[in-house]
Amino acid sequence: MRILVAMSGGVDSSVVAGLLKSQGHDVIGVTMKLWEGPNGEMPETGCCTSADSEDARKVAAKLDIPYYVLDYTASFSENVIDNFVDMYSQGLTPNPCVECNRSVKFDHFIDQAKKLNCEKVATGHYAKIVKNSDIFELHKADYLDKDQSYVLHMLDSEKLAQIEFPLGTISKPEVRQIAATLGLKTAFKKDSQDICFVGKKDYRNFVSKRIDVSSKGLIVDKYENEVGTHGGIHAYTIGQRKGVPGGQGEAKYVTKIDVENNKIYIGSKEELTTKKFLIEDVSFVNSIEYDNLSVQTRYNSDDVPCNIEKVDESTFQIELKTPTLGVAPGQFGVIYQDTKLVGGGRITSKVLEEVYE
Amino acid sequence: MNKNDYMYLDHAATTPMREVAFEAYKKTEMDAYANSSGGHALSRKAKNILEESREFISSCFGAAPNEITFTSGGTEADNWIIKTPFVDQEKKSELTTTQIEHEAVLASAENVDKKGYKVNFVSCDEDGVTNIEELKQSINTNTLIASVMYANNETGVIQPIKEISQSVKDINPKTLFHSDVVQAVASNKIDFHSLGIDSAAISGHKIGGPKGIGVMFLKTGYKIPSLLHGGKQELERRAGTVNVSGVAGLAAALKEQQQNLEEETKLIEKERIIFESKIKEEFDVKIIGENVRRLCHISNIQFRDINSETLMVALDLNGMGVSRGSACASGAQKPSHVLKAMNVEDRVINNHLRFSFGWNIEIGDGNKSAEIVKNTIKEII
Repeated sequence: MRILVAMSGGVDSSVVAGLLKSQGHDVIGVTMKLWEGPNGEMPETGCCTSADSEDARKVAAKLDIPYYVLDYTASFSENVIDNFVDMYSQGLTPNPCVECNRSVKFDHFIDQAKKLNCEKVATGHYAKIVKNSDIFELHKADYLDKDQSYVLHMLDSEKLAQIEFPLGTISKPEVRQIAATLGLKTAFKKDSQDICFVGKKDYRNFVSKRIDVSSKGLIVDKYENEVGTHGGIHAYTIGQRKGVPGGQGEAKYVTKIDVENNKIYIGSKEELTTKKFLIEDVSFVNSIEYDNLSVQTRYNSDDVPCNIEKVDESTFQIELKTPTLGVAPGQFGVIYQDTKLVGGGRITSKVLEEVYE
Repeated sequence: MNKNDYMYLDHAATTPMREVAFEAYKKTEMDAYANSSGGHALSRKAKNILEESREFISSCFGAAPNEITFTSGGTEADNWIIKTPFVDQEKKSELTTTQIEHEAVLASAENVDKKGYKVNFVSCDEDGVTNIEELKQSINTNTLIASVMYANNETGVIQPIKEISQSVKDINPKTLFHSDVVQAVASNKIDFHSLGIDSAAISGHKIGGPKGIGVMFLKTGYKIPSLLHGGKQELERRAGTVNVSGVAGLAAALKEQQQNLEEETKLIEKERIIFESKIKEEFDVKIIGENVRRLCHISNIQFRDINSETLMVALDLNGMGVSRGSACASGAQKPSHVLKAMNVEDRVINNHLRFSFGWNIEIGDGNKSAEIVKNTIKEII
């Protein structure tokens, strides 16, 4: 089978290409150029750097497979960057990786694969596709430490039918072992953790270069008492402690961002606890399930047992069985039934107001 | 790679080396490998090959032997001519060039611009021909250099060089008129003096010669500072041990090319026309420069509804190598500055492919290539 493999230049996707090739598939490697400098150059830090694409090219050469760098910058800029900046300006905490998977990677990429006569696409994500009669289900990876199903929650059965995640049943140490056995130079390469277009720099600078964030405002406590001022709400996210004026010994956190009145609310850790929240634009990978559910509110966070209740066609209320910290509007609530991913949606900002009261 | 396995249509990027060039290169490397500036028998042998080659190569362009200096390629020659004369100039000196030059000239011009000199980038019309009136307006008593390529490497469109050089000289006879002829030499005979060209850049590998060898032509009477400093080799103008094998290879390639030029270009043109007409019959396309003079070996085709990035990949997978513009380090390619200058609409600017034929063309290649393109497009639409 001819398979188009997304190769970032990291060890995971290198191994995917190697495994599929060794299984006898006709493998084509592609690096998606997502982000670039003013003269079309690839970034120097973060992921997707020119050094990364050079690594991917070397791996492809070693495996003797065709390899191309394809330009996804227009789609990425429109769907991911603009959204990222926009969300911070709304006091939300964006998740660019979800946005990228949703609107850039799996749409355009699958489309391109079809044109190139590829039956499937494959990536180095840690997640498992399980065929259950005619339905393709998305499950957590066997190696839970690296499970990435959270950022893939929008993939439905129709999409999953066209995707391979060969790392779903393999552990990270095994992946490195396979890479070493195949003689791939990426075997011991460090994993990238940064947001690819921000790199190691502060995301606030990235945002403030793109929008007017100069409007100063007040920082208040839950009784509306003024405790300080801020230089723009984009610099704050729910749960943030850094840059927040402290109380008498007790650490304070951002508990709410009031965009309309340009106000940041702070409070104790307890005030960050959430029991109920809403998720919108909900996608159900498979049919809706109501029993034995749990939810992740951030990438790689613990599963919290929950009940869900339909509000309207695309909005659901999540009620956590144990109130939890760090539920941030803008992030995604992703619902699981054991290892099976049931669906997910964006956490709205309405919730926290309710909880706050 | 065997031609039956892979249809290579990227000769504008580089050509396979001619057998005679390879033999001359190898023979020099084996028998006359000494430094041509040395003082012993083997050096003299190398020096003789160098100077005989110089005589022959210069004669091919109607130039005198001491008017040509060997360089590492076209890029070095362009950098040398464009950048070094500005080193010791007053700030009022100016450079005029066009928006559609090869990157070797463009980037050199930008470098001059950064140093604080005025640089005029003259626009072109929708066919890719330089706007002569605009160019004339940019020339004045301060114009140190005017640089216009003989023919564009992406579209093949030929510039009216004689008219342009004359216009420049009419306004300022002292202006050095430079022309990057790298692409043009692949399918044209060029006489520098009769065209009014004062300096030029030539590259060996575009005509079936070795890579890493080029020529900087500079008309007698002009002097420019060195670009590379070190031991005074190569007519005391360029430091570095002379690549005599490369020079010998270039001379041999040029000899074969000049002898066969008419025959080669006739076949290239014939096959290219077959190729273009087959593509036109089948798809909604526009051939760039179709109504103006252009190099016979380049066919830049705009596909109205097909993104050429995917098409280029699909063609490669089906055994055909073409190009979208200039390659960059990462492999991803940006919309061409040449097409932008030609005001090609955004909607179709990413729908271009450059097919370029070369000296090793065979009867039937036009048809065969069109078949591959036709079948590939049917796969991807």
